[in-house]
Amino acid sequence: MIWKLSLTGIKSRFKDYAVLFSGLVVASMIFYMFLTITINPTFIKNDIVAPSNYVRFTFGFGIVLLVIITAIYLVYANSFLLSMRKHDYGMYMMLGAKSTKIGALIFLETLITGILATIVGILLGFGLTAIVSQLLISRLDLTVKHFAVVLPNAVIWTIIFFILIFLFGALKNVRKLTRTPVIELLRDDQKPVAYKRQPVLHWIQGTLGLVLLAVGYFILGLPGGAILFIIPAALVTIVAGSYFTFNAFFSALIGFLLNRRSFSYHGIRIFTLGQLKFRLHDYTRILTVVSLLFALALGAITVGLNFSTLSEQLKGNFYYDTTIISNSPKVMQAENKLTITRQQTFHYKEQGKYLYFNRSEFTNNPVKNVKFYMKNGQPAYKTIDLPTKKLDVPATYANNAFGAMVPNGIAKIIRLVSPEKWAAKTGQKKFVSFVNVKNFDQDYFTILKLQKQQLKENPAYADIYTSSKAGSYQLIKNFSSGFEFMGFFLGFAFLTMLASTLMFKVLSGAASDKVRYQMLFEIGTRVKILRQSIRNEIGVLFLLPGVLGVIDVLFGLRLFKLLLPHPYQNLWIPFTIFIVLYLIYYLLTVKLYEKIVLAHE
Amino acid sequence: MTEILRVDQVTKTYGKRGEKQCQALKGVNFAVNSGEFVAIMGASGSGKTTLLNILSTLDKPTTGNVFINHQDNSTLNANQLADFRSKQIGFIFQDFNLLENLTNRENIALPLSLRGISPRKIDPLVDKIATRLGIKEILPKYPAEVSGGQKQRVAAARALVHEPAILLADEPTGALDSKSARELLFTMADLNQNDDITTLMVTHDPFAASFASRILFIKDGKIGEQMLKKGQSRQEFYHLLIDHLDTDE
Ligand SMILES: Nc1ncnc2c1ncn2[C@@H]1O[C@H](COP(=O)(O)OP(=O)(O)OP(=O)(O)O)[C@@H](O)[C@H]1O
Ligand SMILES: [Mg+2]
Repeated sequence: MIWKLSLTGIKSRFKDYAVLFSGLVVASMIFYMFLTITINPTFIKNDIVAPSNYVRFTFGFGIVLLVIITAIYLVYANSFLLSMRKHDYGMYMMLGAKSTKIGALIFLETLITGILATIVGILLGFGLTAIVSQLLISRLDLTVKHFAVVLPNAVIWTIIFFILIFLFGALKNVRKLTRTPVIELLRDDQKPVAYKRQPVLHWIQGTLGLVLLAVGYFILGLPGGAILFIIPAALVTIVAGSYFTFNAFFSALIGFLLNRRSFSYHGIRIFTLGQLKFRLHDYTRILTVVSLLFALALGAITVGLNFSTLSEQLKGNFYYDTTIISNSPKVMQAENKLTITRQQTFHYKEQGKYLYFNRSEFTNNPVKNVKFYMKNGQPAYKTIDLPTKKLDVPATYANNAFGAMVPNGIAKIIRLVSPEKWAAKTGQKKFVSFVNVKNFDQDYFTILKLQKQQLKENPAYADIYTSSKAGSYQLIKNFSSGFEFMGFFLGFAFLTMLASTLMFKVLSGAASDKVRYQMLFEIGTRVKILRQSIRNEIGVLFLLPGVLGVIDVLFGLRLFKLLLPHPYQNLWIPFTIFIVLYLIYYLLTVKLYEKIVLAHE
Repeated sequence: MTEILRVDQVTKTYGKRGEKQCQALKGVNFAVNSGEFVAIMGASGSGKTTLLNILSTLDKPTTGNVFINHQDNSTLNANQLADFRSKQIGFIFQDFNLLENLTNRENIALPLSLRGISPRKIDPLVDKIATRLGIKEILPKYPAEVSGGQKQRVAAARALVHEPAILLADEPTGALDSKSARELLFTMADLNQNDDITTLMVTHDPFAASFASRILFIKDGKIGEQMLKKGQSRQEFYHLLIDHLDTDE
């Protein structure tokens, strides 16, 4: 009997249920995708320098963050579930159902909802993983033939994780419900927390919050050396600052506005402010968490996107686009494909531990080099000619730099000799040719192929390969693509879950707000004005953590100045994503909320 | 004496055509003059709440017309109805009258601010009505911090602060203990007599009804008969009413 009741209860609120359910499905879908990519054996088997390793590292990091946000999200989704069913449960209890029986009902309802959502999420997760892994593979130029989309381990872990959280949620729901008097379950009006009238204390706490935030932002801007101090200190001050700001500053501000009668006695403003005043108190924790995680997510996207600037910048650190040391048919074939604009070839003879170069080849043909130096504490680069006189003087910059450009050049001793002497030298005759091409990006793949072929022919080319322009570019690009991708996806997942967490929190209060809107309607408030009040109220609740999160990011990016050339570049991309996503959630929340509170019987 | 309210051949049928229908009101006719205190009595299910919802424009009659201050309600659209309620009608309900998240003062001020009264004029008006109802001291408190009777006074203040044409009350004493109920009723009678507040109250409590100057009896969706207070004291009227109800059973 009670099961039948429960089912009809769910049916009657099907739409709200659908929102909740799809939220849960998306959460488990994203979780599964991350897990599968992180622990996928296709990636693990690759060799160590393989770019996929960075991807796995970054995705593993992503999983940790995802676990945290998913847990928070599920807690709020769960409380929304409870708020929807509260009234029904109270009814069953009044009809004489034993509280143990109701407890079991809640427990199973929560768990079944959760398990169903997880299963659907994993099934959809297969599809998402297939798409994302394909994108990733093509993006990183990986040679992966078959990527396992269905990974039993990932399935099992996803299920375990979600069931654990739902189990916890179910127990929490049972405890909460069985401890609430039946009458309070039935009466939807949420007892407002007795508001403590201590404006002075509020202002003190609020000011402290703002001061702590300012201190935190200041710390983030300190010079980079003390990173071990900066991160924990900024974390503590910003978290505490956000909490106090939400707990006291904003409510003090609203209290202030409420008491400015010339402001508050204006249409329905007084009611909107009253709602907010009570809300904010109840929302302190979630708003704090949301603002901080927003900052993390936005930061992840911004930094991730900016890693690509790193690989662009890297290209400027090399003068030559590639080095050629072979004229085998395969190398020649590749070389012919390049659009060479400039080529400097130097011949040498390898004899014992000496490499003999012909000095005349360097006349009016100096070796070029990009030199790194520090300028006002910032890294800087300039192009120089390596002085030919110094090329064979040990321990000079020129000698070291040139040595690194010739196979075995570091291990052996470089000597520049006159043409006559050179002609007389015996030993293996070799050459090294420094090449510039018209367009590096266009010839990049050919260069890679050419270099790989030379490595195959001559192991001594290894050092040159790894420190070559193309080699370094490949490494950094893979590394940054991993970051870019993860930052993007993780940030996206984060933003969605946070926004829906906030949505569920707002909607959890809707049932109890219904009476208030009904009453306002009865005393003659136009529906249009009620809607406006709803939009404003929810707007403030969305805006505050959003704005604080954005400010956090703007200051937090200063931390990355050391790592990235331009941490503030392309800021509009993550911000646009953020604003659009957030707006969608805001509008969705307003719509759903209106549906609940403005429904007339 | 001017006519404030006229109810003309009002019927109300619940349920759509073709489905099972229920006629809650079967042709109600009456009028209320300015300054009257009318009580509507009737058994449970007789249609009292239905009638009040129609009078207060929250619901529409199936047929018939309601005129308040000579304005035909049926000609108004949703927005005009809302404005009409906010200007012409004051409400007191059985319970949950007040917005728990606003102070008593703010609750009373709300109808004025909704009507766009200049903020400077609002507080003096609130103070005036609060003094009249003896709730000046509790204005800064929240509804949760005052007693049920005080809450109902605040509700009355909110219903009256914008000087509506008529005060509508649905079982205003229903949730009160007898002492608070008595106080509220005396206040309402006082407001009616000394401030000429036209009042229409729905109740099934003879004690509450005895405060009225006229009682309409509604039975099976129709106004059956009425009793007029003609110079009797409230106690005498109460006994007459009890006798009347006894003979009726
Ligand atoms: N929304 C509705 N849909 C269908 N029938 C309704 C509806 N509301 C009321 N009724 C019916 O109309 C009739 C009158 O109901 P109403 O609520 O007006 O009675 P009442 O006099 O206020 O009773 P009570 O003293 O119990 O409050 C009843 O028979 C009731 O069942
Ligand atoms: Mg009724």
